[in-house]
Amino acid sequence: MKKLILLVFGFALLPFSSRAQNNSSIELKNLFGDLRARHIGPALMSGRINDMELHPTNNQIIYAGTAGGGVWKSNDAGTTFNPIFDDHSQSIGAVAIDPNDPDNVIYVGTGETWTRNSVSYGDGLYKSTDGGSNWKKLGFDKSERIANIIINPKNSKEVYIAVLGALWSDSDERGVYKSSDGGETWRKILYVNEQTGAADMTMDPEDPSIIYASMWEFRRTAWSFSSGGENSALYKSTDAGKTWNKIHNGFPDGQLGRLAIAVAPSDSNVLYTVIEAEDSKRKGLYKSDDAGANWKQLNNDFGITVRPFYFSRITVDPRNPDILVKGGLTGSISKDGGKTFKSLGNMHSDIHDIVFDIHDSDRMYAGTDGGVYRSWNGGTTMEIVENLPLSQFYHISVDEAEPYNIYGGLQDNGSWYGPSSSSGGINAGDWSSIGPGDGFRVLKHPTKNIIYSEMQGAENVWRYDVDNRLVKTIQPLEQSGYEDLRFNWNAPMAISAHQPDRFYMGSQFLHKSEDMGDTWKIISPDLSTNNSTKQQQVDSGGLSMDNSGAENHTTIFTIAESPLDENIIWVGTDDGNVQVTKDGGKNWQNVVSNVQGLPSNTWTYHIEASVHGKGIAYAVFDGHNSGDMQPYVYKTIDFGMTWTNIITDNVIGTSRNIQEDYENENLLFLGTEFGLYITADGGNHWERFTKNVPPVAVHFIDLQKQTNDLVLGTHGRGIIIIEDISPLREITTEVLKAKLHFFNSKPMKLSDESGFSGSFGSETQFVGENANRSPQIKYLLPKRHTFGKMIMEIKDSKGEVISKLTPGKSKGINIVSWSGTIRQPKIAKGKTLAFGGFATPRVQAGSYTAVITKGKEVYEHSFEIVYDKRSSLTSADRKMKYDIISKMYNMTEDLAYMVYQIDAFVESPKTKGKLKLKLNELKKTLVITTGDNYVSSAKPELREKLADLFSKIIGSYDKPSNSESEFLSIIENRYLKAKEDFDKISEKIKSKEDIKLKTFEEFTE
Amino acid sequence: MKKILLLAIAISTSINVNSQTAEEILTNYFEITGGVEKYAKLDGIKMSIKVNQGGMEIPFEVTQLKNGNQMTVINFQGLELKQGVFDGEVLWNTNFQTQKAEKSDQESTDNMKLEALDFPDPFYNYKEKGYTVELLGNEDLEGTETYKIKLTKKQMTVDGKKVENSSIYFFDAENFVPIVIHSEIKTGPNKGMMSETKLSDYQEVEGLFFAFSQVQGIKDGVGQPLTIDKIELNPTVDASAFKFPEEIKEQGNKK
Repeated sequence: MKKLILLVFGFALLPFSSRAQNNSSIELKNLFGDLRARHIGPALMSGRINDMELHPTNNQIIYAGTAGGGVWKSNDAGTTFNPIFDDHSQSIGAVAIDPNDPDNVIYVGTGETWTRNSVSYGDGLYKSTDGGSNWKKLGFDKSERIANIIINPKNSKEVYIAVLGALWSDSDERGVYKSSDGGETWRKILYVNEQTGAADMTMDPEDPSIIYASMWEFRRTAWSFSSGGENSALYKSTDAGKTWNKIHNGFPDGQLGRLAIAVAPSDSNVLYTVIEAEDSKRKGLYKSDDAGANWKQLNNDFGITVRPFYFSRITVDPRNPDILVKGGLTGSISKDGGKTFKSLGNMHSDIHDIVFDIHDSDRMYAGTDGGVYRSWNGGTTMEIVENLPLSQFYHISVDEAEPYNIYGGLQDNGSWYGPSSSSGGINAGDWSSIGPGDGFRVLKHPTKNIIYSEMQGAENVWRYDVDNRLVKTIQPLEQSGYEDLRFNWNAPMAISAHQPDRFYMGSQFLHKSEDMGDTWKIISPDLSTNNSTKQQQVDSGGLSMDNSGAENHTTIFTIAESPLDENIIWVGTDDGNVQVTKDGGKNWQNVVSNVQGLPSNTWTYHIEASVHGKGIAYAVFDGHNSGDMQPYVYKTIDFGMTWTNIITDNVIGTSRNIQEDYENENLLFLGTEFGLYITADGGNHWERFTKNVPPVAVHFIDLQKQTNDLVLGTHGRGIIIIEDISPLREITTEVLKAKLHFFNSKPMKLSDESGFSGSFGSETQFVGENANRSPQIKYLLPKRHTFGKMIMEIKDSKGEVISKLTPGKSKGINIVSWSGTIRQPKIAKGKTLAFGGFATPRVQAGSYTAVITKGKEVYEHSFEIVYDKRSSLTSADRKMKYDIISKMYNMTEDLAYMVYQIDAFVESPKTKGKLKLKLNELKKTLVITTGDNYVSSAKPELREKLADLFSKIIGSYDKPSNSESEFLSIIENRYLKAKEDFDKISEKIKSKEDIKLKTFEEFTE
Repeated sequence: MKKILLLAIAISTSINVNSQTAEEILTNYFEITGGVEKYAKLDGIKMSIKVNQGGMEIPFEVTQLKNGNQMTVINFQGLELKQGVFDGEVLWNTNFQTQKAEKSDQESTDNMKLEALDFPDPFYNYKEKGYTVELLGNEDLEGTETYKIKLTKKQMTVDGKKVENSSIYFFDAENFVPIVIHSEIKTGPNKGMMSETKLSDYQEVEGLFFAFSQVQGIKDGVGQPLTIDKIELNPTVDASAFKFPEEIKEQGNKK
């Protein structure tokens, strides 16, 4: 036994020691605590939808299975949606509801099925038995993409799934599978070969033993796509999947491509298929009126035949077998059984799925490249669902504005920039378009208000002068003496930390401009493999030619100029080269052969040139387009002469991007197809960050320098921000041993920034969560606090407690926000509320101490509060403002105490009637004694005037104005007069001793 | 306190973590927090709570009685505004504008009648209440080993339809008290989202343990902390405090 343990130990240590970066060993598991992410969308252009699914009996409930953003459920007929699948793969192929238990049983097949170049992949089949709260995985780990799930409407135990399977490689985990025990075990019941998957499947609505399934032979490489072959076919089973027969009577001759299949729910003899065929005349819609025995071609319009790999869904009206819709560039609807079609109403192009409401065929829902659309009039007018933040970023960057902006490009949704924070939250109107088409890299000029953006294949690269609204295209053009330029679909661009006007672009050459793209110079030879067999894009597509530029290959994909030396430039290519120059491009060296353990020609997805040393760089490789889903991340410290593998086995999914911390060399952030991973020990231990970051494809990461915010560009959930990652810098083995460790805090600002929040439409629109600008106290707890008291107090420099806060109790990082204010003053009791009386005055700049008392232990942490400079008040102004506010605070509480005494005197039976009358008369001038809080409100009295002015002065960034000071003196005189009157009456009250009055201190406590 | 912890450790070490049943976990929970007998004797609970919203302190009191009566009294500038008041039949709130009492809609009232069964603890005599519990398994909840127990109460009604009324409780495996509760929100603009309540600072009040600190919010969102300053057991409360002030009826009578 001991031997065995030693052996296991030995094995475990082997790869570890060969990879170790430093001696420290820090596991971040369960330490992230309150370091949660916020999502800012945007949702105005939403993102690609793969599958729409309806509840069979409740038409309020709708599911959207999205290409890269998980599963979303609507409980209000598509007005708003909520995510219900955030702990699992966000790439969705199919969602299915058990018709026998539709409120509880849901199946989700992961992996999108519309196989474009940028398609993601899933990791199997999931089931929920509680309406989506909890999910159980049912296997199919290697299925990559699941096209359909069908549950027998008469027997929940019987489930069929169509596995389309691997796109980039051979695989035998594909075809049609059946379970007879609700998904616990599965049998493969239809399989052709390792290249052919199940693309579509349907069940006879009357007879669950009749199943139709289409098989599709297809394959993608990084440089080509092939649809169709001898093995594509449409099958029918009449014995619940035991035997299958091809039903091709009337089909075109030759090879077939992707085939769709639909049966009319109201007439099970009526079938429709869309056929991708060799002969373009014989492509299109076919119909059978005899349950598949015979087929007749009806239509080969563009809308029906366009890009079968991307659009293949047919949906038949549940009540009328002659009404059907087909996904496509615009989507098409036929009302004459498929003879003729018209386009669906205007909406985002590229319609992948359409469903009819279960009760009313005029109500339709469409899933597009730009989100979900609703129609109330049979598809004539389409309106977008505005709260689906599914944007699919290829790349993002940030600037140094305050608040900083985020720039990025989206799949089929152009390029955009928007703020990281905005009044009332970040809404659709905060985002500005910065280019059409597919958007990719968007970079802000380091010093000028100029933005660079691009569209696919660098067909256009724009330089936008934001202030003057001037647009110019600046893409590198062909140069004499050089061959034709090859740009990647997602062409790289880069700016320089050394020369603000410098701008790089990569084709197969590295292009450099010193004048913001006006003049280009090629500063490298062809840095790719220049393999001509990977340059035949004109022949790409298979049965349907598809040369969109998306398969352009043997190109540069990533460019990184060293932040420490402008002559050091790294370049990575999509065909697996890593090139480096140390002399500004005169000499180049391909160093990829020094990377041990990396399969050759693995796509160099990102190179990060380090700030911690000139020779230090990180390289991230992505092999998914040869079917290799392993992450590959390496570090070099010697310009690529040697590389160290810094990945660990627990990191899952194709690696896309790495971001180093600017201060702690061992702190790294890695984006993979399944989320964000973080290491604090240079890659010895990686931990997936789960706090509100789903396992979504993270395509690009940036670290904003002023805020230390980590900004993720995800391909399916928009921009996700983790605010201020600086606590992670401090986590060491020593810190982890502490009973409670306060993290260092730089001086914290009391922000004067404010504005107006246009919340119009936010009821049904996605609004991105804002930054938290409050001062924050951050600490690490080694264990969750459950029993006993744990409190936090803020003390001023004199040691007085000025605020009591509820501290976090979680294991790991806790973040407590403080408003930087003291409690509102105790205000006099009136008949109604004084709305100004809820204002809380800010503390002065200076030193404060946070004190945590946990049982008998006391922990203290000092921090600095500073003023916001933007309001440009002098310290004398600040003092004057503080003194005035303090005076009003005291006056408010004195007045409250006075009214309290009046009430007590009046209530006392011993107070004489005459005095009571006088007291009541006085009270009427002090506080409102009639009316309500709305339109029956009485005219303001002393309390209300004082409170409103108090609130006005506190709420302003400015010092009190002359007119405010003047008004205050009127209020003050009125107060002093009231005090005098009260004292006079009070003297006459004989029975004071009998009335048990609270002291002022007791009263204000 | 020390005793309780020792008891917790003793229980957790004496029983294999994996072989716990929901019943055993709940038995331990009641044992640790004071004993079923003490719960049985409870007639009412009054909690004095503070919330801090952007520096503004709002004190309020929550009273719950064995007969299902309950109310929340918020103190704003010395004015007491009653919210969520239930006298066993009528559920009512004070309108902030007019400061007058208004009845809640019938569906909310009917659902509140079901909630009344929760006193003094939803798990107390859960079978007799018609509730069911199910142990969904163990879960490492951010570094704390927990038992995940689903509590299903009587169906509630939402927009005229009967729906499941359930919550998931995460019991700390070390000391058998719930530390997190998840429930799907069934009505209103957040319908479909998961609510999350975090519980901590369990402290003793006359032999019973209560969580004095709670954070309420949406799962994965930023929660609102509530600090309980004081818990009073079996408080003296005038029954009339729960009664809806019948303004309309009174006027009718006058005529």
